[in-house]
Amino acid sequence: MRADAVGLSEDALEELRELLGEDRVLTSPEELICHSFDATSMEHRPDAVVLARSTDDVVDIVRVAHRERIPVIPRGAGTGLAGGTVPIEGGIVLTLDQMKELLEIDIDNLVAVVQPGVVTEDLQRTVEAKGLFYPPDPSSLTTSTLGGNVAANAGGPRGVKYGVTGDYVLGLEVVLADGRVLRTGGKRIKDVTGYDLTSLFVGSEGTLGVITEITFRLLPLPPARRAVMAVFPRIEEAGQTASRIIARGIIPAAMEIMDKVSVRCVESYLKMGLPVDADAILLIQMDDEEEVAERHMVQVAEICRECGADRVELAHTDLEIDALWVARRSVTAALAAVRPHKIGEDISVPRSQVAPMIVRIGEISRKHDLPIAIFGHAGDGNLHPNVLFDRRAEDEVARAYAAVGDIFQVAIALGGTLSGEHGVGLSKGEYLELGVGPLGVELMRAIKNALDPKGILNPGKIFAEA
Amino acid sequence: MGENSDGLAAFEDDILHCSRCGSCRAACPLVRALSRESAGARGKISLLEALLKGELESSSRLGELMAQCLLCGACTSVCPQGVRTDGMILAAREDLSRRGLMPPTLQAFGEAVGENRNISGEDNEGRLIWAQNLEGGLAVAEGTSVEVLHFVGCLGSFFPSSYRVPQALTRILGTAGVTYDLLGGEEWCCGYPLLMIGMVDRARELIEHNVEVVRERGVSSVVMSCPSCYHAWEHLYPQVLGEEVGVEVLHATEFLDSLIEKGRLPLGELPMRVTYHDPCDLGRKGGIIEAPRRILKAIPGLELVEMADHGENSLCCGGGSNLETYDADLMRQVSGKRLEQALDTEAEAIITACTQCERTLTAAARKERARVRVMDITELVWKAVQAAREAEMA
Repeated sequence: MRADAVGLSEDALEELRELLGEDRVLTSPEELICHSFDATSMEHRPDAVVLARSTDDVVDIVRVAHRERIPVIPRGAGTGLAGGTVPIEGGIVLTLDQMKELLEIDIDNLVAVVQPGVVTEDLQRTVEAKGLFYPPDPSSLTTSTLGGNVAANAGGPRGVKYGVTGDYVLGLEVVLADGRVLRTGGKRIKDVTGYDLTSLFVGSEGTLGVITEITFRLLPLPPARRAVMAVFPRIEEAGQTASRIIARGIIPAAMEIMDKVSVRCVESYLKMGLPVDADAILLIQMDDEEEVAERHMVQVAEICRECGADRVELAHTDLEIDALWVARRSVTAALAAVRPHKIGEDISVPRSQVAPMIVRIGEISRKHDLPIAIFGHAGDGNLHPNVLFDRRAEDEVARAYAAVGDIFQVAIALGGTLSGEHGVGLSKGEYLELGVGPLGVELMRAIKNALDPKGILNPGKIFAEA
Repeated sequence: MGENSDGLAAFEDDILHCSRCGSCRAACPLVRALSRESAGARGKISLLEALLKGELESSSRLGELMAQCLLCGACTSVCPQGVRTDGMILAAREDLSRRGLMPPTLQAFGEAVGENRNISGEDNEGRLIWAQNLEGGLAVAEGTSVEVLHFVGCLGSFFPSSYRVPQALTRILGTAGVTYDLLGGEEWCCGYPLLMIGMVDRARELIEHNVEVVRERGVSSVVMSCPSCYHAWEHLYPQVLGEEVGVEVLHATEFLDSLIEKGRLPLGELPMRVTYHDPCDLGRKGGIIEAPRRILKAIPGLELVEMADHGENSLCCGGGSNLETYDADLMRQVSGKRLEQALDTEAEAIITACTQCERTLTAAARKERARVRVMDITELVWKAVQAAREAEMA
């Protein structure tokens, strides 16, 4: 959906400077370049970068943009993996990472109230020091902002047991496209007074409003952790293990899978003694009361063996657990040694289809003659096939994107969807209908038109050009 | 760096490997302070990529942004691809400096350092003022009998609050029976402050001189308590000169560690709780993380408590890369953060191994009226040596 933009006039810039101060309206080529990208390889320069420090600032900026029909692209830390904050039609990049105040931790109600620029890990550390727990753990959590997490409905390894960001959002403050300020939800757990507007903005990728405050639900921090690593000679056995663990009533805090390409890449990168003839490795983590975590660890190890694992390692202490995670956490770095660039997708399939999906991706890899490493969250069926290529070789770029298209088709055929965590952004717009159907797209467009009739909020995202 | 490199182009592969994941944002002390993309590695790399592609022109604005980096190396240590941002920024500064596009305050500072041969602006012949009130005076040795040459560094030579460091090292060397020599007015600034501004040609004059006089003295080892001098001598001199320096370059912590290990330095009891601040040039960039900790653990009664970020992941004190000269306010924001981490340990003293870190953290502690002492490890070791003597006499 293209903004009906007339461009950013000098008068509009002057007005923004008067409202916010010279130092917060940036137009130098250096600042435009620094805000032209996210964590994909897509880029486009905005016309201006404007720094917000309060909800009032956001209101001021959006009002000017609305009147002048200037695209507004809300941006946190720019760690998105779908081009969601790339200002593809220019306009104003509205940075929210300076709104980083942790407003309240309410222990009686188990909630935290934060500004959107708070870094995910900062919230986690702060609440954990009080014995509380904010579970969503996107892999960029040391850098990513909570506003971005909500806008992308980010998830992570703990999704299998604890769900994703949206499962913890109780309320929002949102600046709408015309500058009005909406408050949804709040500290109450139950709320069925009308439509669930909070959920409408979760995962809306900055296309419906600018999130300026978030109320999160918290949990008590689980006291103990245990982990199991299992090596499988056949990928199907790993898939079967994942299903059987859940079927036996154990919900692990994380259940991660690495395929053979990932295992080999990590081994050649770290030389840590991983079996390079393995077809798959599962890493399963439990968190609970100590005796429960311990018992589940033993049961999980048994299930791994009965499903065919030929090597099973147990980790009792934090140190041992961290050691098991080294391989999984190093995959991204290890892949760079194979090819400098990658398209990291995040298809989501029913848990039972994880193994068939991995097998089918292997076929796609051979068809397009490009290495594809697969790792991800076997517990919830959310996989990250990473198509590796070198952007200096034009034919590799074309083949990489063709492979991604094939992966999407297979995911849908297996009852899955295009994105489990990263969102649609710029990279999956053309596949949206494949994922949600024509009626789904029609309804989404209707919602977009109702909330942002001028199409100024993050134009070009989610919906492919009509 | 200098004649033997092709500047920024040498980092093309690093730029290519930046996947823009943003991990560096979390590690960068300036991004933590400013929440600005341009303050951190990812933003700066995107600018240098645009520069190399011809999509951005060199400008004084670019010079300002490149000056806004502590060269602490934290970004590289967390980078999944190991992109060498600090080297890239030095190369960019070199290019910007040649074009006169680095900030005028830094250019002027660099010119003055080149002129005066030290960072203080005083007469370089006054390099041994710190030794004037030393009991027993200096006992320099000559020729082949010299075990080490003590390269004092500008801060220890010219900043009265830092005199304690060369004084302590001199006393320690005397106690351990180590024969030493000093260069006095023949010691010139190590050149690192100039390299950090990109003034490689001016730096080369200083570097060539220092290497020449050290070679003339015929010593086999040079010891220095300033990690920046150490980093320059150990890692940058060979790049600038295109050849090895040819003498063993030791940081004071390495030397003290070996003296203690050989039993040449008896240490008495110091019952105190301390935390140790790793200087970036020494720890993360020099790999000398364990030697200072071994020294601290060798002092009886002393308790070492680590800060949240330490060792390889230590947080810069803010005193790096001439930021103090260029943007003192920003430096204070960074040092305030580091002080907070130190105070969280409830240590009574912050021990470091760098005169600049000591100055920066002392100023931060004063500003916050924090009840914590900041001390160089050399001073602490001297205290322990004194404690051993007193115990012996009692």
